[in-house]
Amino acid sequence: MKTGRSANTATAARSVQGSYTSGVVIAVLGLILLLIASPATAKIYIDINAPSLPKLKIAIPDFKNLSDKGEHPELSARLSQVVAGDLDLSGYFLPLDKESYLEGAESPLTLEEIRFKNWSVLGAELLLRGAYTCVGSRLEVEIRLFDVIWGRQIMGKRVLGEVAGYRRVMHRVGNEIIRKLTGHEGIFLTRLAFVGTMTGHKEIYTCDYDGRNLKRVTWDRSIALLPRWSPDGKRLLYNSYRDGGPMLFMRDMVSGKVRRLSGRKGLNIGAAWLPDGKRLALTLSRRGNPDIFLIDLNGKILDRLTKHWAIDVSPTFSPDGKKMAFVSSRSGSPQIYVRNLSDGREERLTFEGGYNTSPAWSSRNRIAFVSMDGGRFEIYAMDPDGTGLRKLTDGTGNNEDPCWSPDGRYIVFSSNREGSYHLYLMNANGQNQRKIVSLKGDQTAPSWVR
Amino acid sequence: MPRKLMTIGIALVFACTSLVLVVSCAKKQVQVEERVQPTTEQAKVTETVQQEKEAVETKETKQVDTAKEEAYRRAEAERQARLRELERQQRLAFQIREFEAENIYFDFDKSDLKPEAQVVLKKKAEWLRNNPAYKLRIEGHCDERGTNEYNLALGERRAHSARNFLIALGISGDRIATISYGEERPVDPGHNEAAWAKNRRDEFKLIKK
Repeated sequence: MKTGRSANTATAARSVQGSYTSGVVIAVLGLILLLIASPATAKIYIDINAPSLPKLKIAIPDFKNLSDKGEHPELSARLSQVVAGDLDLSGYFLPLDKESYLEGAESPLTLEEIRFKNWSVLGAELLLRGAYTCVGSRLEVEIRLFDVIWGRQIMGKRVLGEVAGYRRVMHRVGNEIIRKLTGHEGIFLTRLAFVGTMTGHKEIYTCDYDGRNLKRVTWDRSIALLPRWSPDGKRLLYNSYRDGGPMLFMRDMVSGKVRRLSGRKGLNIGAAWLPDGKRLALTLSRRGNPDIFLIDLNGKILDRLTKHWAIDVSPTFSPDGKKMAFVSSRSGSPQIYVRNLSDGREERLTFEGGYNTSPAWSSRNRIAFVSMDGGRFEIYAMDPDGTGLRKLTDGTGNNEDPCWSPDGRYIVFSSNREGSYHLYLMNANGQNQRKIVSLKGDQTAPSWVR
Repeated sequence: MPRKLMTIGIALVFACTSLVLVVSCAKKQVQVEERVQPTTEQAKVTETVQQEKEAVETKETKQVDTAKEEAYRRAEAERQARLRELERQQRLAFQIREFEAENIYFDFDKSDLKPEAQVVLKKKAEWLRNNPAYKLRIEGHCDERGTNEYNLALGERRAHSARNFLIALGISGDRIATISYGEERPVDPGHNEAAWAKNRRDEFKLIKK
């Protein structure tokens, strides 16, 4: 059985490789259910690299409360809600409407007792049953995932945590489910940073990937812009006018200490981390012309990465750190270029449209960017050589500030399709666009970290 | 009887007050007399005081006539100077308001100066030449379209364009600072071309050295 499973994984891996080299399939999200028949257990793989995406229908009834004195009955619905929200946002699942369920929280938990007919009749392909126990402030959650069609248990998992941190506990459960079904890490414990205007000033905020657990980071009462998490999530770069001009600051997210990294004359904007987390690139204009420089974490200039009379801004690095994409106005309008850092060779990537900005290079080697299209801004993605172009947003309002999930399978972006700018999530192929952050004022410039 | 005593008392108080006021200020004296007039007793007392006072004044005037005239002329000249200074300050404040109120505007994604912007800048250069005590801060702004980063750079270009033009007209670069606000400080929050056109601008702030 083990052999069969690894053989299938290898096939999947080869098919990914193949689709890349042929350049036919892009960003690839889809879903193929592969069942490997086995007398003992059934293994399910979701091929998230497949081009089309039939969603798995999953039933998630409320969790059963096994606490001695029935403590925290409210968690019964909340726990199932969190994991249903996660699976829904992943784009791979369609959680079925709870109203249609024939059984509730008290329905059986074990393979032997579960009446699969009651779930298959709803069209459910998967069933997630959960139970929880509260002891003081501690919370223990146990889940079991069943294949309704085959009447098999796919996985079982026990997770410990705090009652107050029940969302986090359930995000871990969600990640385990994704890992089991896709072989990849889930995004449910990732975090966002963004710019919000709810106080009347632009300030930096952070929240969970689903928009919950909001925290305010800056209190500058000035203009704070362009937050950028370090790859390890321990530091956050941002621009602020708190000392007069647009300067670069770094906040230690553990100690809360803020340090000014670059306060040179003119612009100190739009910093991008190199994958090593030890260097960063930003645009400086101390001599009058905006060019991209490489600095260390003490703010010392290490290298100059562009030298041109035009505007050079918005650096973003390839996953191996060997190439940098950026925006330059050297052709007369902003376009996206890529620079080979070892030999300094530069190449223009975008030729369509007169206004292309905001490049974001994913860990899966795609570059998302924003193009002005009939007076509105839309998000596109392409391969690092400019081929494989695909339009990801279409039709309503402006869609800007694309930012990849750490795993390169999702994009969070800002859109004013409903009037004000809010943050939206979509799969890498543009499917499943959902609003995740909707606060007073505008929310823009997201940054995403593991 | 007590009532008569009180009246005399009041009269005396008024008399004393009048005396003090007469000595200190001629104009106030008139006002006081007017108020005192209702009672004849008070008027009589005041009159007496007035006569005595005038006698003293005449004597003094003869002694310090020239010195006083000199002081008066000096005070008058000072007053005139103060007036002129006040007028000059008002004129200057008006000019500064006018100077700072006049922006220059740019086309979308452009930082080159249009002919009408050059006319405005020539005026500003002349004012700066005539008022060397002032420094200038040019703020470059953009409309909301495009990225923050690109617009910050574009706003800086717009500020630099105006600065370079003023330098070409003979204004020292040491006097001109620039800052870009990108798309962060729109004057018109609208999302249409009319608003955008107003927001693609340079603003000019004067700073006394």
